[in-house]
Amino acid sequence: MTDDKGAALVVDGLCKRYGGEMVLDRIGFSIAEGEVLALLGHSGSGKTTTLRLIAGLEVPDAGEISLFGRRVERLPARERNLGVIFQNYALFPRMTVAENIAFGLRIRGISRADRDRVVADLLGMIGLVEQREKYPSQLSGGQQQRVAIARALAYRPAMLLFDEPFSALDPRTRAGLRREIRSLLRKLRVPALFITHDQEEAMELGDQLAILNRGHLEQIGTPEEVYSQPCTEFVARFLGAANIVDVVISGERIILPGERWLPLPAGMPLAAIAGSPRLVFRPEEVELGGTPRLSLGVGRVVEISFSGPVEWLTIALDGLSEGQILIKACRTRWESGSCRPSQGDLLPIGLKSFRVLGE
Amino acid sequence: MRRRRSDSQRRTDPGLTRVTGVSFILLAMLPLVILPLSSIFIFGLSKGAGHFWQALMAPAALFSLRLSLMTSAVATACNLVFGLIAAYIISRYQFRGSNALMVVISLPTAIPTAVAGFALLLLWGRSGLLGQFLEETEYQIMFTTAAIILANIFVTFPLAFGVIKPALDNLDRGCEDAAETIGASRWQTFRHVVLPSLREAILTGALLTFARSIGEFGSTILVSGNLAMRTQTAPLYIFTKFNEGDIEGANAIAAVLAILSFVIFTLILIIRSRLEK
Repeated sequence: MTDDKGAALVVDGLCKRYGGEMVLDRIGFSIAEGEVLALLGHSGSGKTTTLRLIAGLEVPDAGEISLFGRRVERLPARERNLGVIFQNYALFPRMTVAENIAFGLRIRGISRADRDRVVADLLGMIGLVEQREKYPSQLSGGQQQRVAIARALAYRPAMLLFDEPFSALDPRTRAGLRREIRSLLRKLRVPALFITHDQEEAMELGDQLAILNRGHLEQIGTPEEVYSQPCTEFVARFLGAANIVDVVISGERIILPGERWLPLPAGMPLAAIAGSPRLVFRPEEVELGGTPRLSLGVGRVVEISFSGPVEWLTIALDGLSEGQILIKACRTRWESGSCRPSQGDLLPIGLKSFRVLGE
Repeated sequence: MRRRRSDSQRRTDPGLTRVTGVSFILLAMLPLVILPLSSIFIFGLSKGAGHFWQALMAPAALFSLRLSLMTSAVATACNLVFGLIAAYIISRYQFRGSNALMVVISLPTAIPTAVAGFALLLLWGRSGLLGQFLEETEYQIMFTTAAIILANIFVTFPLAFGVIKPALDNLDRGCEDAAETIGASRWQTFRHVVLPSLREAILTGALLTFARSIGEFGSTILVSGNLAMRTQTAPLYIFTKFNEGDIEGANAIAAVLAILSFVIFTLILIIRSRLEK
């Protein structure tokens, strides 16, 4: 658990049911001031529900939500002072761009002159000065989402909540806007919760990454931690490609099928890998050729495919009675050096690093 | 614009079928709708525009038009406010029996107007359920302007609701959520976000209610008493003048009502086409 002192948002034991179905099951996390947490999950994992509970658009069945030390779960949305950026922009269709951005100030009774000043600043920031008097329907998706962000920033919310803000945009606009938001969030230091199903987006934008799976929080940590030390098979598979092999622990050894084995890392608590242990390693952790420190013996190259910056290899560890184990490896052209196998070649296979997961 | 067609197309000429089809519609409408309507204007102008103008400017004629416009406007305002509130509540809150409530709201259009007028008489008349209590006071509802307004409200009750409710259902709820997170109260959200989006629906509902109100006859004749210069609406004026044998007098007001309806429905069509854009 993160230290709750100085936290912008603390969520604890949050539960929500729809009908009889448990959509969120005791979710807990916190976001420090100035920090961005990316909440990552498939559709139906409960991530949008989490956002709506924090925003005050839904009421939790159980659990606590605190914003800057103040309990808010029963507070109406309008009193939480949050800026929400919605998936479909949710701009007011009968208001111009300027009126949309000024709305939060208008209902707070800010004078017209002050409103105009803030709107002009924000329009400059999002690069839509010329679109000032246009209506949302006259803007592109990317422009609409920029207006939505400006509208949320105008009244200086205590925190920003992004609900899959890029999912309705084409890939190019998405990448551009993602960079803009990243630098904006770094500059403003506003704490933010960022909901997405795109792992790349989550890793790029989040200082912290939280993985949600069917209403359960699987893991939370920095993108680096979550990627390199996944706690569960789901997290390992969700964040990029992962090789997962069933193993047996015997003494100091991790026994793979086919009489291959790896040494059990020192200090690994056996309790953590009770049940049915699995060996987990990423494609880039596979070593090809040479004399690897953590050897898996000899493997046969089944397939090679080239995808621009990296080359992907499918390698069979065969010679087993129960069939073969296929593993994925990847490396850059630079890494491949002198070892350039072709399909069907046999070569020594090893691992640079790995993890063992329990139940 | 004529395009050259190949032989195979000419054999089953869609143009010919189209012309026949349209001709059929017009031919059927001619005796049923077009001729009756035209005769109002043909008759009106047969003795010259001066006669027509004179008949229109008769004090009782002008009074009946003013009374119809006023009572219809009040009824429209009432049903618009009710329709808007009812549509918002039924569309935005979930509760048991909301479907049944919608049926009840829609019921008045299904009731014959004479029955509606009779029902109002039974309620507010001298020995009516509520009317008997009014009897002891100086107030009187039946055979006054208030009765005409009540009758108009009754027969046009669900029209505005019927237009506004589907428009509200189709509104993106995300905008209301957004307004709430920005800090708007329910009322501010309704006033600044919901209401502007319902502009066309509200206008259409108002025009429909007004158009239906201004022509109301069946209930009005029962509850108004049809007193000239007091409770005689335009349709009642037409009926009375016709009975008195004053065809010109009846015709002048009929022409005005016909033109008014035409204008209102043209406006509705314009709003509809703007909505579909």
